Amino acid sequence: MEMSSKNLVVYLGGKKILNDLSLHIKNKEFVGIIGPNGSGKSTLLKALYRTLRPNSGTIYIDDKNIDDISLKETAKKIAVVAQHNDSDFDFSVIDMVLIGRTPHKKFMERDNPNDYKIALESLEKVGMTNFSDRSFNSLSGGEKQRVILARALAQETKCLILDEPTNHLDIKYQLQFMSIAKSLEITVISAIHDLNIAALYCDKIYAMKSGEIIDYGTPKEVLTKKLIKVLYEVDSEVNINKDTNTMNIVFKPFEIQ
Amino acid sequence: MKEKLVKKNNNQGLFKGTSIYVGVTLLLILTLIFSILTSVTMGSVDISAKDIYQIIFYKLFDIGTEESLPSSSAIDIVWFIRLPRIILATCVGMGLSISGLIMQAVVKNPLADPYILGVSSGAYLGATIAIMLGVGSFLGSNYVGICAFIGAFIISILVMVMSNINSKANSTKLLLSGMALSSLCSAFSSFIIYYTDDKERLRSITDWIMGSLAGANWDTIKFIFPIILIAVVFFITQYRTLNLMLLGDEVSITLGKDLHIYRQIYLLVTSLIIGLIVYSSGIIGFVGLIIPHIVRILFGTDHKKIIFINALSGSIFLIWADVLSRIIIPGSELPIGILISMIGTPIFIYLMISKSYGFGGGR
Repeated sequence: MEMSSKNLVVYLGGKKILNDLSLHIKNKEFVGIIGPNGSGKSTLLKALYRTLRPNSGTIYIDDKNIDDISLKETAKKIAVVAQHNDSDFDFSVIDMVLIGRTPHKKFMERDNPNDYKIALESLEKVGMTNFSDRSFNSLSGGEKQRVILARALAQETKCLILDEPTNHLDIKYQLQFMSIAKSLEITVISAIHDLNIAALYCDKIYAMKSGEIIDYGTPKEVLTKKLIKVLYEVDSEVNINKDTNTMNIVFKPFEIQ
Repeated sequence: MKEKLVKKNNNQGLFKGTSIYVGVTLLLILTLIFSILTSVTMGSVDISAKDIYQIIFYKLFDIGTEESLPSSSAIDIVWFIRLPRIILATCVGMGLSISGLIMQAVVKNPLADPYILGVSSGAYLGATIAIMLGVGSFLGSNYVGICAFIGAFIISILVMVMSNINSKANSTKLLLSGMALSSLCSAFSSFIIYYTDDKERLRSITDWIMGSLAGANWDTIKFIFPIILIAVVFFITQYRTLNLMLLGDEVSITLGKDLHIYRQIYLLVTSLIIGLIVYSSGIIGFVGLIIPHIVRILFGTDHKKIIFINALSGSIFLIWADVLSRIIIPGSELPIGILISMIGTPIFIYLMISKSYGFGGGR
């Protein structure tokens, strides 16, 4: 699935958060969006997954204007894993995943064995099969995030949007989560804080600052010492590990006098 | 483990645990019938069970003859006092517990009860105006109930309108609008009571506030029972949206559903139910809060399973609470609201502690 935006402008609380932002994401690309806090990453993603209506500009899914598509149709095309998924009410893990089947259900249609099969397969993909009877609220942060990913998988979409999904996870679950997302071979759009993770998984990276895209390209093209300084005002060292051919970004501490 | 689960789901075609819920539902239906048939034999006047069932069968199915029936006073007690009261308890219990469940989903808050959005204060103001100022007495014998219904319904609509001003309503705006209007109504009620200064009428307001099923009659039941039943069936079909409500607006949109319109519809339906309950029996608190929670503690949150179980539990609970309120103090009747809080709270606390149930979470 392809996704693009043209001249998006979003104001929040009188402040311009997205400034004439255009991007294009190709089919089955794993795209990372990086940028400092407040650069508009989440706002951009929210506009893409339609919980926020842009003040102007257009979003296209496979060349179709998103305004011409119903929310239900969008939910069949795009699944979302956001940062926080806490609720005062508790669901069992399997019920939580089954909720992902919602966009495929007609009015008053009940879950059928096929929905259960898809839900269980989704749990299997994230390695949570043994948890299917557990209550969602009793899970750890990493487990919750994987269940939410399973719910997104149960939507059977061709595109996944991740809003800093690995924020509270330890390194093992960060890698595991991103590897699962990568293995799906669908379009993935993810806001990412950790530049090393971005370098490991992304095909393309958009670098955002103050609501604008300031750079775009492969991780090796974008993640340079210079750009990191511009984006985060931090000094760094960018090396390529010759054995693994992976990028290695090392930050230098601030000198506090 | 994994293979076992898949196998269970595919081969038997039965979803995990569904058979349990079907069983529980059937059991509750039987319990409800049993409760109705048993409670009708309990009361201050001694009438034998045989006579009672004879009367009911004669009235319902025309079985038996007039001559074989017991005295006409027994017929009046059974057919015009006891049975309507029990059926009204069934309606009201069902209506309160279902509205509580729906309200908790609509405002996404486990502390919600059917009255949370100011409905009770609206009803209170309506009743105060009727009792203290005698307004609406041309509406017939239950003019207080009618005024209370009008008050409750107007407040519900005002809450919905208020929370939609400027931006679409969400659960927080609904709660705040409800609280604001609730305070306003209480203030006006107090104002009227203070300046009318009539002890006798004040007493009848207090009695009314505590709720009672004593006013039961067949005309009311014929009117409210079908509406409550239809509402229950309606909400059973809405389980998926109700589940989404607990996950919030953003998640729902990513799953293809804008909750806004559903919230309005559900609020309208629950307001109608609560208005009718207020009309028929005043304000009976706590049932709409504890029954949904007890059902959630035992059966989880998934609305697919709990809506009907919740409705039946509410009916059974209220039938027995009413029986107790009639017999617990010989020769007099304890207001049912007081009794429910007295017996309901310990049950609730016990379940909360024993199942480590924190605000609707954790099993």
